[in-house]
Amino acid sequence: MLAASQPLVTADRPMLVASDMHRHFEGLHAVDGVSIDVPAGKITGLIGPNGAGKSTLLAVLAGTLPATSGAIVFDGEDVTSWPAYRRARHGLVRTFQLPSEFARLTVLENLLVAAPKNRGDSLVGALRGRAYWIEDERRLVQQARALLKRFGMSMKESDYAGTMSGGQKRLIEIMRALMLGPRLLLLDEPMSGVHPKIVLEIQHYLEDLRAEGLTILMVEHELHMVERLCDTVVVMAQGKVIGSGTMSSLRRQREIVDAYLVG
Amino acid sequence: MNTYYAVNLLVYAGVDIIACLALNLQFGVSGIVNFSFIVFQAVGAYAAAVLSMPPDTANFGFQHYIGGYSLSFPIPWIGGAIAGGLLAIPVGFVVLRKLRSDYQAIALLVLSVIANAVITNADKFLGGAAGIALVPQPLSERVDSGTEPYQYLYVGITAVCVVIVLALVNRIVNSPYGRSLRAMRERELAATAIGKNPVQLKMTIFIVGGAIAGLSGAILVGYIQVVAPSIWLYPETIILFAAIIVGGRGNNVGAILGALLVPVGFEEITRFLNNSPSIANLGPPGLIPALQWVAIGLLIIGFLWFRPEGVRPEARRVFEGAPVRED
Repeated sequence: MLAASQPLVTADRPMLVASDMHRHFEGLHAVDGVSIDVPAGKITGLIGPNGAGKSTLLAVLAGTLPATSGAIVFDGEDVTSWPAYRRARHGLVRTFQLPSEFARLTVLENLLVAAPKNRGDSLVGALRGRAYWIEDERRLVQQARALLKRFGMSMKESDYAGTMSGGQKRLIEIMRALMLGPRLLLLDEPMSGVHPKIVLEIQHYLEDLRAEGLTILMVEHELHMVERLCDTVVVMAQGKVIGSGTMSSLRRQREIVDAYLVG
Repeated sequence: MNTYYAVNLLVYAGVDIIACLALNLQFGVSGIVNFSFIVFQAVGAYAAAVLSMPPDTANFGFQHYIGGYSLSFPIPWIGGAIAGGLLAIPVGFVVLRKLRSDYQAIALLVLSVIANAVITNADKFLGGAAGIALVPQPLSERVDSGTEPYQYLYVGITAVCVVIVLALVNRIVNSPYGRSLRAMRERELAATAIGKNPVQLKMTIFIVGGAIAGLSGAILVGYIQVVAPSIWLYPETIILFAAIIVGGRGNNVGAILGALLVPVGFEEITRFLNNSPSIANLGPPGLIPALQWVAIGLLIIGFLWFRPEGVRPEARRVFEGAPVRED
């Protein structure tokens, strides 16, 4: 369902190229000259110790945090000056490290609200009345229900998202992001604070999504998970990229093991 | 209960309902804490006044104001709504773009205080502290406004406005657009991350709400025929917030209920108490009106503490064909 709306991507073409990204907070250089390529159709892992600047980098790529300097090209377009909402509409979609559900919207509404191309999602469209947008709404409800079914949450559709468990909120957030029809998904620790059973489910979903051609960049602490899931891994420490490659090749590099991969 | 009192109550109820529907759209649905709401009602009242008044040289020039266009109904009311919407543009531009929402609330509260002080002291602009009096009533050039039928006519026109405004806000709140507004209210950053532009959403609702508030002001001034800074002091906004909190944030029916319970019901009851000599003479002069404010404060705190969702909470949206749960 997702793959059908995606443009075909070749494996060696980067979906996103970020060059010399900087993000400074007062004197702190949280992201300090990072350049990365995110290959299309792959899952790229972003690892590093706490405070390495991973989440900041993700926020800067998504535009939810403005970069101090640097350039971002997303799928061939320079999006550096674009605000976050415009990048999201364009298919560069992020999730958050902390649960960020819309608590007093139902689970189904959390998905529907993210859907672009609803005629009722503008003031004029809304004022024209239900008859004007109900067809779009029905189509999107179907699409959202298909996602809920796939993620095993059909029975929860009418519950307030705020009443869901931590793991379910993660799933809601991933489904919500998928409703946008993303081309690149930026996941910030999608497994943190999630029950091990749901961790496995999320892992399978992410593998399925990759098989459908979706590109993913994910920050993750759980290295076994990264090893199983990620095609390439980028290691950050103190705001800089200190290495990249497959997990097994990284394990052989002395300085990276010293900096992060202890044990 | 005489006709005049009943009509008075009904018109006030209509004005308060329209105002509460607008504030509910801004605060209850979209999460904009508009502590300067009453200013938008006031600007509508002033606009309607100067549009319907003759130039200030009339009536022996005893009051001073700009404009004075002697326009007939419904232009002053439409003008009042437009004025409310227009004022929202510069205010929203300054307040809604950069500030975090708690600072937005403070900035808007301060704006309300400043606006009142400025209008009070600029006595050649909009009548100063005395305000503008003898505002012609709508249609008074065609119908004798001193008669009982005219009173009912006024209630009728007010009711039509209530119905129109209710239909508009219902369409907004119950649409996919309303859903986007609620998502922004719940978590602005996450809404941005799914492609919503919060500044644009807030600006739009600020303008729409401002226009509706302006209309409510025009209806009010057409009835009481006077507008002065003393009727739009910032605490008036707090009363409307109390109404929304009591009625149920995010629910239009709740907003109507809140308007009837707080600005109309609660204020009338306390006014009655003040009119009763045995109670009014208790304590030092001014004690009872002061206690009225204490009571409003307690009402807000009480509801936030014991029933934060209000009398009529925001409805949970269940979609057609939803699986039935076994609970």
